[in-house]
Amino acid sequence: MRPFFLLVIAGWVAVALASQLSATAPGGQTSARVVNVSAERFSFTPSEIRTKAGEPIEIRLRSEDTDHGFRILDTDVDVRIPKRGKGTVTATFRPAREGRYTFECSHVCGAGHGFMRGTIVVTK
Amino acid sequence: MAPVFTGISVALLLTCVTAGAAGQTPPSPQPAAPSPSTGLSGYMDFHFNKPQFADGVLDFHRFVLLVTHRFSDRLRFVGELELEHAFVEGLEKAGELELEQAYLDFLVTRAFNIRAGMILAPVGIINERHEPPVFYGVERPLVDTVIIPTTWFDAGAGVHGEVGRGLRYRAYLMAPLNAAEFSAEEGIRGGRQKGSEANAGRVAVTGRVEYVGTPGLTAGLSFWSGRSGFEFRPAFDVPVRLIETDMRYARDRLELRGQFAQVTIDNADRLNDLGLLRTGVSPNVARVLRGFYLEGGYRILTGSRVGELGVFTRYENVDTQFRMPAGHVPLKKFDRDAWVMGFTLWPDPDVAIKFDYTILRNRSPFTAPNVLNAGLGWWF
Repeated sequence: MRPFFLLVIAGWVAVALASQLSATAPGGQTSARVVNVSAERFSFTPSEIRTKAGEPIEIRLRSEDTDHGFRILDTDVDVRIPKRGKGTVTATFRPAREGRYTFECSHVCGAGHGFMRGTIVVTK
Repeated sequence: MAPVFTGISVALLLTCVTAGAAGQTPPSPQPAAPSPSTGLSGYMDFHFNKPQFADGVLDFHRFVLLVTHRFSDRLRFVGELELEHAFVEGLEKAGELELEQAYLDFLVTRAFNIRAGMILAPVGIINERHEPPVFYGVERPLVDTVIIPTTWFDAGAGVHGEVGRGLRYRAYLMAPLNAAEFSAEEGIRGGRQKGSEANAGRVAVTGRVEYVGTPGLTAGLSFWSGRSGFEFRPAFDVPVRLIETDMRYARDRLELRGQFAQVTIDNADRLNDLGLLRTGVSPNVARVLRGFYLEGGYRILTGSRVGELGVFTRYENVDTQFRMPAGHVPLKKFDRDAWVMGFTLWPDPDVAIKFDYTILRNRSPFTAPNVLNAGLGWWF
């Protein structure tokens, strides 16, 4: 039975380590804060997100109608938000320093597409 | 208004100069800016209308192509070309080919941006948000037809932006309406100049404040004000004012909407008298037009293999003869009620198959025919 118990203990340790790793960003940072954002013609809600420099945020995006895009200007973040009922998409963003980062819909979604913009306000 | 246009010109120039630098504190290091890109999208609206006691009509109501181009992150172009009723020929009354939008957006900050070109009046729910899958009913609401003349577009320029957690604004100067084309039945609708060599002797002012900060909720307040009697000046002018408020709430399966709009036309008596002199028939334009509607919709089927199915009911009241100038009698057939009931099937969120039945009533002794409507609309 001893090998069995060792195996169980090893399994628990592995699960604990895995859960710890999954909650920790690379580099030993704290886990990302989750922000749920809904997109619909022609707005993001919320359209203003606040965070701190160096802290990662996990932006979970869901559409209430057609497919939209989510792009943070001057960064590499650009994801396609699937249509209503087709699930969510997650964009992870860790601002290196304070400032205001503009995000926008990057997939043309209708006559008011240009209004779909928002801001991530990053403080110290 | 010359100083106003001078101000806009200066603002546009300043924007062009500063657009590349202002706006946000960029992160470091910066990835390369995305290259210019051009996109094509559009929507279509195909209808079958069967009025009581009359033959049905098949109509490819709208074929709309949207062309967009991104010169940079700060400078965008949007164009919308619409063919209505599928066919345009010479001077005969048939379809219309319209340039509904063609503007440049100078994006400065989230709170302040400049737009110029052919723009949509920021009034009401439907005028700026009219893709077929996003509203219940085959035809647009009556309020958005004879009180707010959607699609309402004209040449103009102005500013727009958003502050805080979802408070938006738009403020534009646009070409005014032409009061000589107002009518008893359709109010100010015929007066749209549509940016076609539009008279801009005295430009109109329009704007909207909108709250979108709560998930599912949009609440707006719009206005439009312009001196629209350029065909009658200097004898008299026709100041026109529109005030509108609306609310839309959508959560999961439920969607609720309400809208109220009122138009005031000054010197409507002189407009009617002159119309009588010119043509022998008074246009019988009212001094106040008013309309509102309430709508409730519920998606009874979601997540199914055939898509989503929603049912709805809308009550509308529109009166384009609500208050008449002294000495003019209202035409009661233009004081109208409508109950619209039906359903929409979305096999895809961008495709809508619609059916509805519209019960029309008016205050005259002559009953209006009810209408059975079917529609197919899609966005791509």
